[in-house]
Amino acid sequence: MRGLRKYLTPFAPDQSGAVSVLYELGGIIVICDAGGCTGNVCGFDEPRWFERKSAVFSAGLRDMDAILGRDDRLVDKLVDAAEKVEAGFAAIIGTPVPAVIGTDYQALKRMCEKKTELPVLTVDTDGMELYDVGERKAYVELFKGFAKEKLPVEPGRIGILGMTPQDVSDLGASDKIQEKFRAQGLTAVCYGMGDGLDEVKKASSVEKNIVVSQAALECAKYLKKTFGTPYEAGYPLADELVPDMDYAGKKVLVVHQQVIADSIRAEIRKRGEGAAVTVASWFSMDKDLLEEGDVSLRDEEDYIELAESNGFDVIFADPCMKRMTPGFDGEFVDAVHFAVSGKCR
Amino acid sequence: MKKEAYFATVEDLARGGLEAIPSQMISGKHLIYSSPATLAFNSPGAEGFGVKRAGLAVPDSIMLIVAPGCCGRNTSLISSMPEYNDRFFYLMMDETDIVTGRHLKKIPKAVKEICDCCEKKPSVVMICITCVDALLGTDMERVCRKAEEKVDIPVRPCYMYALTREGRKPPMVHVRQSLYSLLEPQKKKGNVVNLLGFFSPLVDDCELYELLHQAGVKTVHEISRCRDYEEYQTMSQANFNLVLHPEARFAAEDFHDRLKIPFIELRRLYQMDKIENQYRALGQVLGVDFDQKKYKAEALEAVEQFREDCPDAVFAVGECMNGDPFELGLALVRYGFKVPEIYGTITAENFVYIRNLAKLSPNTRVFSNMEPTMLYYDPVSSGVNITIGKDAGYYHQDQPNAVWNQDRQPYGYAGVRRLFETLTATVKGEKE
Repeated sequence: MRGLRKYLTPFAPDQSGAVSVLYELGGIIVICDAGGCTGNVCGFDEPRWFERKSAVFSAGLRDMDAILGRDDRLVDKLVDAAEKVEAGFAAIIGTPVPAVIGTDYQALKRMCEKKTELPVLTVDTDGMELYDVGERKAYVELFKGFAKEKLPVEPGRIGILGMTPQDVSDLGASDKIQEKFRAQGLTAVCYGMGDGLDEVKKASSVEKNIVVSQAALECAKYLKKTFGTPYEAGYPLADELVPDMDYAGKKVLVVHQQVIADSIRAEIRKRGEGAAVTVASWFSMDKDLLEEGDVSLRDEEDYIELAESNGFDVIFADPCMKRMTPGFDGEFVDAVHFAVSGKCR
Repeated sequence: MKKEAYFATVEDLARGGLEAIPSQMISGKHLIYSSPATLAFNSPGAEGFGVKRAGLAVPDSIMLIVAPGCCGRNTSLISSMPEYNDRFFYLMMDETDIVTGRHLKKIPKAVKEICDCCEKKPSVVMICITCVDALLGTDMERVCRKAEEKVDIPVRPCYMYALTREGRKPPMVHVRQSLYSLLEPQKKKGNVVNLLGFFSPLVDDCELYELLHQAGVKTVHEISRCRDYEEYQTMSQANFNLVLHPEARFAAEDFHDRLKIPFIELRRLYQMDKIENQYRALGQVLGVDFDQKKYKAEALEAVEQFREDCPDAVFAVGECMNGDPFELGLALVRYGFKVPEIYGTITAENFVYIRNLAKLSPNTRVFSNMEPTMLYYDPVSSGVNITIGKDAGYYHQDQPNAVWNQDRQPYGYAGVRRLFETLTATVKGEKE
């Protein structure tokens, strides 16, 4: 049945994706919910929350706030927080409750900006889409809101777009990427994971952007259109995701977010001549990265059918998916995806 | 900007009274800060026995969470525990479902499908719905009846409405009612008692079991000790219910109305004289004079042992633990220890402890875990050298911490004894 899950818990929702993009940027993040969504984001979907304090707040909506549409109360609460907490901006993140009552985010933004004198971002997530949709919205809002000035391009400065724990499933990934680029005499700027709001403001100064997640492609396109910054999609650490084995002539399925999956495919092809690699993803797929035979997954049955009826020799997927295909007798490679299982490498 | 965490002393709070609680201490008046301390309190499904876990307290039950994906996301934290493996299922809602309500038509079919795929036939299917359906005004009772026709086992709603957390019937009250609503009337047995309130058993050495036996009780039922659905059904044979947690009061009233089983309410306390009085009162109702000396002496001994090992204990007490932070703070002060800081949520029920604390330890500072300025909490000048509760441990990461948040419920003298034994072990560097 469409929408019914028997094996997998729901994937990271759009609101978690939006928070993930903004988490390290020093803003007041207000999740417009009753408490449960914030609990999901903080207690599960944001692994950095356990390591460092961040100004993530729940709006603490109650039934009568929703029924009566008391947005003014939310504005008052945000004003109160802005007086108490030092922040460079405020962000209001949507959830199912404001989606049901039809909250006007633009009006909220205007009211809050007027009263707090802080730049306010609003992300109209609804908890029903997946994390990549929330990330996409947040990236565009963020860069449109803060990367306004056209600065001279600094040769050797590379922007890394799409770095969130949801996408790369590795809290040490930004350090590793920065180190890798440093070894080549380049400087990597990992937006939102290691580098903060000041770097976002200077986004026009990078030589090019490397996009590590499909969710950031729209933002990269925006930066190209606005500042002329070229971009390419790929995950610089893909080599460490592919274990040593003989891939020559093998039939391989890779299930991940599209950019990482595509980078794993490229790495496998490098290592094994004639490997036939299919990419599948539970999340959005960009048509420019698609190859013939790539599959967009929606329900559990889609994956089970794909995995069981195509004679794959190797499957790269999150370990939580292993039990869905007990009959698979090939090699299952753990390709952890935080947005799927909530686990980091 | 001061960048300091807001607090009020118990003296200030007591002077102002219940009507003048500072707005910083009222959760509806400000944004709610998300620290690990807030999580369990603010999110009804997030931690410990939230709605999802509690909803599966009936033996061999399964749960279908019908909600937007975000509401079920963190369930894998629970479903990774062996006892919940293969007991959670999800029917994810999308925007069209919200607009048209079509998800409601899918529920009976989904219930049938998940029942068919279970190796063992479940005893009951709990349908967990969330804020969205609260706003849509969904009549889930009716949908459950439709689903029952398909599977021939009970199907019950379970409301994880975070929106109603501060209402008359918050989610954790509702879920207790749902759990016991499956009981059918049976012939009463004079020597059977139910303990209501928790989703896991009391500690095995809790004196309450022995005291009840002194009163002639032969069988003490707790939902979490029921091995199967048949045993769970025998809870309706009880002569009376003991309500050990105030959130079970509504469920107890239901018992009374539907099954004609009366209830007596007891509190979890850490002040031994109050425990003694409470048991004495219970004994009077039951017509027995409980012999409490042995249990009290053991608890006292544990307190003294801790005092010997840690004579200069200075406590911070949090609310993420098995107890009321103000009552426990008061107990510690009355045992002669210092309690400079408490992190808690003030309610009408616990204000009495604040008043008493104000007389004995007026400078005790009360912080609200949920207040935005807790982002700036600084433990340096507090003088605290030992903490109780997960939240207190979070704020004082350099001090020994008794998490005291275990599933097995501490209660009565056994609770006091075990707490001080744990504290002694904690200062000696042993793990809980």
